[in-house]
Amino acid sequence: MLRNLAAGRWNFETAAHLLNRAGFGGPPAEIERLAGLGLEKAVAHFVEYESIPDTSENPEWAQPDPDRAEKLRSARSAPEQERREMLRAYQQTERQHMVELRRWWLQRMASGPRPLQEKMVLFWHGHFATSMEKVRDAYLMWRQNDLFRRLATGDWQQLLVAVAKDPAMLIWLDQAQSRKEHPNENFAREVMELFALGIGHYTEKDVTEAARALTGWSYSRPTQEFIERPFWHDRGQKVIFGHEGNFNGEDFLELLVARPQAARFITAKLWKFFAGAGPSDELVTSLAAEFRNADNNFKPLLRSIFSSEEFYSPNVIRNQVKSPVQWLVGSVRLLERNLPPPMVCVGLTRNLGQDLFAPPNVKGWDGGLSWITTSTLLARYNEAATLVLGDLAPMAGALGYRPNARPNLERRLQNARIGGADPERLFTEAERASTDTLVPALERRFLHAKLKPQQEKGLRDYLDQQTELTDDIVLNAVRLIKATPDYQVT
Amino acid sequence: MKKELSLQTRREFLRGTVLGSALTWTLPAFLANTLSALQTEAAEKATRVVTGKDGTILVVLQMAGGNDGLNTVVPFADDHYHRARPKLGLPEAKILKLSDNVGLHPSLAGMKDLYDAGQLAVIQGVGYPNPNRSHFRSTEIWQTASDANAVESYGWLGRYFDNACAGCDPTVGVSIGGQMPQAFSARLPKSVCLQNPQNYRFMPPKRGGPEAEAEAEESFRKLNLIDSEMAENSGGSIAAIQGTVQHEGSALDFLERTALDAQMSSDEIRTIASRAENQAEYPVSQLGNSLKLVAKLIGGGLPTRVFYVSQGGYDTHANQTNTHQRLLKDLGDSMQAFVKDLNAQANLPRVLVMTFSEFGRRVAENASGGTDHGAAAPMFVVGNKIKAGLFGQYPSLAPNDLFQGDVRYNLDFRSVYATILESWLKTPSAPILGRKFPLLELV
Repeated sequence: MLRNLAAGRWNFETAAHLLNRAGFGGPPAEIERLAGLGLEKAVAHFVEYESIPDTSENPEWAQPDPDRAEKLRSARSAPEQERREMLRAYQQTERQHMVELRRWWLQRMASGPRPLQEKMVLFWHGHFATSMEKVRDAYLMWRQNDLFRRLATGDWQQLLVAVAKDPAMLIWLDQAQSRKEHPNENFAREVMELFALGIGHYTEKDVTEAARALTGWSYSRPTQEFIERPFWHDRGQKVIFGHEGNFNGEDFLELLVARPQAARFITAKLWKFFAGAGPSDELVTSLAAEFRNADNNFKPLLRSIFSSEEFYSPNVIRNQVKSPVQWLVGSVRLLERNLPPPMVCVGLTRNLGQDLFAPPNVKGWDGGLSWITTSTLLARYNEAATLVLGDLAPMAGALGYRPNARPNLERRLQNARIGGADPERLFTEAERASTDTLVPALERRFLHAKLKPQQEKGLRDYLDQQTELTDDIVLNAVRLIKATPDYQVT
Repeated sequence: MKKELSLQTRREFLRGTVLGSALTWTLPAFLANTLSALQTEAAEKATRVVTGKDGTILVVLQMAGGNDGLNTVVPFADDHYHRARPKLGLPEAKILKLSDNVGLHPSLAGMKDLYDAGQLAVIQGVGYPNPNRSHFRSTEIWQTASDANAVESYGWLGRYFDNACAGCDPTVGVSIGGQMPQAFSARLPKSVCLQNPQNYRFMPPKRGGPEAEAEAEESFRKLNLIDSEMAENSGGSIAAIQGTVQHEGSALDFLERTALDAQMSSDEIRTIASRAENQAEYPVSQLGNSLKLVAKLIGGGLPTRVFYVSQGGYDTHANQTNTHQRLLKDLGDSMQAFVKDLNAQANLPRVLVMTFSEFGRRVAENASGGTDHGAAAPMFVVGNKIKAGLFGQYPSLAPNDLFQGDVRYNLDFRSVYATILESWLKTPSAPILGRKFPLLELV
């Protein structure tokens, strides 16, 4: 069992850690409010989010298109030239919606009332990593995102079944096209290897048999819905994990979740996401036991994790590299500024190696230290100038090469305007009075920790050289502290 | 005492080769650790850069997703092929023939030209024992050159850097793109990632006038522990440096090291990239752009021994025909442009390109017009100092010879690695690959 955090250890530092990991961080005042609540109430504030009303609106296009079947029909019968025109227009709209969708989600993370719910959506998006590059339908990508939100901390099997029948997933891993004559193994393999068990915990025979069980689960293009195609389903006997039966997809997923390894696999991954360091075997055993005790529900497990001594241990706190999304959303919250315009958000995160809705492959982002390379670290340092000073120069070429060259998007990015942060919101007059007061205020807000003495001296020297701590100089100092190795961890 | 000597050597090396100015160095904790691990001798060698203008260069091209080997190097004369591929099989008339039995996919015209010019080797039937059909595990096996039943943490190129390039500058390995391939992962990490040379630097803030700009840059260097003029810390003892270590291998240590590598390589790469012009037309694609940048960096004289580029999209489970055609055309055309460019620079004799993919695909097509994960597949090696032609043996497609529907490999990919290490990079392969593998007459 996990040990409860000793009451004496609940303070500004531990409260900041909870806010950073269960949410996306926040300014000192918010940390103090949490610290004042005490551990139990602070954890409940994140975990019991259903009681907090959420009135944010969905994108207006986030619904099935009633005319879609008709459009598909007329496109099929249109002459070649016209059909191409229609396709181009359609793709352009989809791209536009995808840009809006990213901003919509980032906005929920940055200022929505339920930070843990959004953090879990981010976890599930990285876990069931589905890319719009193949799905090519913004409504379906939104719908999957909404599914993750609805079932974010609920029942594991329910979520797995819902994901297996999710249209974007059906397209992404080719399940939509799998028929009994020659089953497509893509989803059957990845659901075992990446989603539920991990490599080495199933046989090649399990993969081919599970693929048979899953045949018939498909996608209807005209309705944009899951559809069961009985004629595609293989009704024969199958042997999966040593059990024999005339299994269908649901049966297979039930067998899957019942594997002892299933509880260990998903709880270890969840721990890694929230705590950072790989959990010991012993810890995984505890996590898996908690998860089984809660009938494979995530919410009680999350409450235990966030209340545990282990979660607040010194090798966990400030030892996780911020993901690019955490970096962006956290920066916006710490700078108490608004989220930049959609194209800039896309450019910023893509530059840093995390393009939402376009993970590099079905395994998702590797995360951890692999977020950091010489290229992405310099990009973080320069993008700090974008958020703090409104400088868009680091965005040049940020969209890079994309298969369907997008000069249009590139141009809109160049034309974007974005303001800087407001120093008056960040520091009081007293804090801005001198180097001696400003440096600790910078450390407290942006690092919740102190710089090494030789680094701190570098910052002091910069401030001491100035005749006056003007707004510009204060913002330069903010940018400098964000351009440190120290700011990249949380 | 020894430690201080090597520290001194490393410091002079850094100063002399990269920044060229009289900086004093306060080394971050990770570097002190690194140095205590280095032999004094190796640190002495560090004062000489391993590769100059004349060193040989390896370019590794990853075809990510599992390339369909059967439709890349096509066994058109084999009836089993046409029987297993009723929809996806390529008609003999369209094949770019390399022999009476095999030929290239029709979109690989660029590769065919290279073959005819004696600049392409096609290595057939490459794989490894007990093949794994997971993208991630199989990629890991190729990247680390491990046995299928063993897990190896460092990459084969990382081990090459550890063994043969101790102390050399971080640009010894350059990966184009944001991500570091596992192949570069090393005990003493070296190598940089690079996307866009223009942005590959710290941009000082534009506020508060030019003086504040310069001062901010200086402060930036101190905050990143890159250099330091601070009297009380300069020349600080190793014990004091180690005192700042929080615990071994923390995320912060890693970040500090990356910050130093970034700064060290930044000035150099930007200067070099602006020095050379491309002299060939590349396809407008990710791969085309990557190879274009590699050609510039080679032309400008970056002392790199290994470049790494990647092309994705080969996981063709469904509707394979068009996707595969597009990818292979991009591959062939990009490669051809790259060779032309290097030739115009007179650098082609120094460069060898090797392609690989984590696995080939199932012999029989599936019902979705695609192919599932398979096993052995061909590799391409390109250059003008190589022996061109067909190497190895094409795997048998006879149903009885298949294992779970996959072809059996005839040649271990580590033989190709060993050959490249020994004959091209001129370094003993056994310490890097763990044992000896038979060499090919490739170079």
